[in-house]
Amino acid sequence: MKYNYVEKAVQITRREFIGLAGVAAAALWTGAYAVTDLVEDRNKYIKMRMAGLYKDDEKQAVRQSHNNKSLMQMYGKLAGKPMSPLAEELFHTQYVNRMIS
Amino acid sequence: MQKSYQNHELHNIIQIDPKVCKGCDSCKSFCPADAIEGSYGATHSINDERCLQCGQCLVNCPFGSIQDTVDVVDDVIEKLQDGKSTVVAMVAPAVRVALGEAFGMEPGTLVTQKMYGALKKAGFKIMDVNFAADNTIMEEGTELVEKIQTYILNQPNEHNLGPLPQFTSCCPAWVRYVELYHPNLREHLSSAKSPQGMAGPVVKIYGAQEIWNVAPEDIYCVGIYPCTAKKFEASRPEFTAAADYWKKRGHSANYQDTDVVLTTRDLARLLKKLSIDIQTVEPADENDNPLAEYTGAGTIFGATGGVMEAALRTAYFVTTGQELSTLDYEPVRGLQQVKTANVPLRLKNNGPEIVLKVAVVHGTKNVEPLLKEVEQGISPYHFIEVMNCPGGCVNGGGQPINPMGTSWVGKFKAIFPWS
Repeated sequence: MKYNYVEKAVQITRREFIGLAGVAAAALWTGAYAVTDLVEDRNKYIKMRMAGLYKDDEKQAVRQSHNNKSLMQMYGKLAGKPMSPLAEELFHTQYVNRMIS
Repeated sequence: MQKSYQNHELHNIIQIDPKVCKGCDSCKSFCPADAIEGSYGATHSINDERCLQCGQCLVNCPFGSIQDTVDVVDDVIEKLQDGKSTVVAMVAPAVRVALGEAFGMEPGTLVTQKMYGALKKAGFKIMDVNFAADNTIMEEGTELVEKIQTYILNQPNEHNLGPLPQFTSCCPAWVRYVELYHPNLREHLSSAKSPQGMAGPVVKIYGAQEIWNVAPEDIYCVGIYPCTAKKFEASRPEFTAAADYWKKRGHSANYQDTDVVLTTRDLARLLKKLSIDIQTVEPADENDNPLAEYTGAGTIFGATGGVMEAALRTAYFVTTGQELSTLDYEPVRGLQQVKTANVPLRLKNNGPEIVLKVAVVHGTKNVEPLLKEVEQGISPYHFIEVMNCPGGCVNGGGQPINPMGTSWVGKFKAIFPWS
């Protein structure tokens, strides 16, 4: 029996198994939490900046473009009304074909 | 091979630094145009011909390896100090809710007055692009109303109108996307220029004559946008309306409507170079400046759904003769990828009731199904707003890089500021 090698059996008690499984589950859980948190955070700063703009909107006494007095004054002095010939010249454009062949 | 840029247009704005790139592929998931080349693990590069210059890859690169290579901060400082130029800062809606972040403030902090104060201290005259946004609504809204009258109510019209549905044209990356990948649909884009396109002529014609009394040639327009694609847009050869206007009136100089563009990040850098801190600067009002008057409709241009909401407030009034009873139009707000709404309009003078069908899309990749419908002629919509960046301009490629986002390097710096 000199060369009869017996591999040492893996010995793990039920309690140890439950403990290790618990640690593994915690690690996975933390990882998943961190990832979802990252995704949620991404939207968070976008939402915070959007909220800032909507707050600015609510703060304004005038909230419709056609009631902007200075703008209407400019139309009166310069372009007349929207889509007048001068407005077309200054405020409208055409688009080009950029298709790569 | 045909180039996707016209002569003298700025391009190659967004570039990847091969020394820093880890080949992690994150940027590819943010690119709306599949313009990033290089396989997983290998150094990536941007195909300039396909690129929209939107900078979404830049603000989302985990390693900070992507750069905005057009840096005009020093040129602007030189103009501010040369003593003869009237340097006008044209500042966009979304800048005021993100500029504070570069000075340690919470995202979304509204710093309009402090921003005015800082710009004045630096030597700028101010034109608020929110004014130009209101101007855009008047032009784009009028165009939409005329299309409704022509195509739905069969009334005669003197203008050369494009077909319905009408797409918004405020977002330069989206406009380039249409021109590059769907040029057959470009008649559907509103012929109204973007607010940047309108702001330049307003400053160099109306501002020169009525507000500042200076020669248009001496005005140096600095656009300040949350956007890297605006740098490209400002250089479009057709954006010379002010110079063309003055040439018909005895002047001869050539110049672009907007001379240079700074991003929100660039502006923060400029202010820091001049030792101006947004936190401590004296706030300033611009109540006596007509070109800084703006409405709530102008300011929400910077959020997805905002252009639509602003347009509806005015289109409702123009078609029905009455103001909307509630101005907050919730169906077009929020971060859903595609938002749709049916807006009933009872036309004035006892006219019939029509239903205006609208759609709002952010993230250019999400618009493809709607473009297919338009191409097949079965699109149910009348008006479609598209913004290239998820969430709209507030999340533009020129905004401060937020450590909450996918930029791990930024996040690391937020936790360990000394690193």
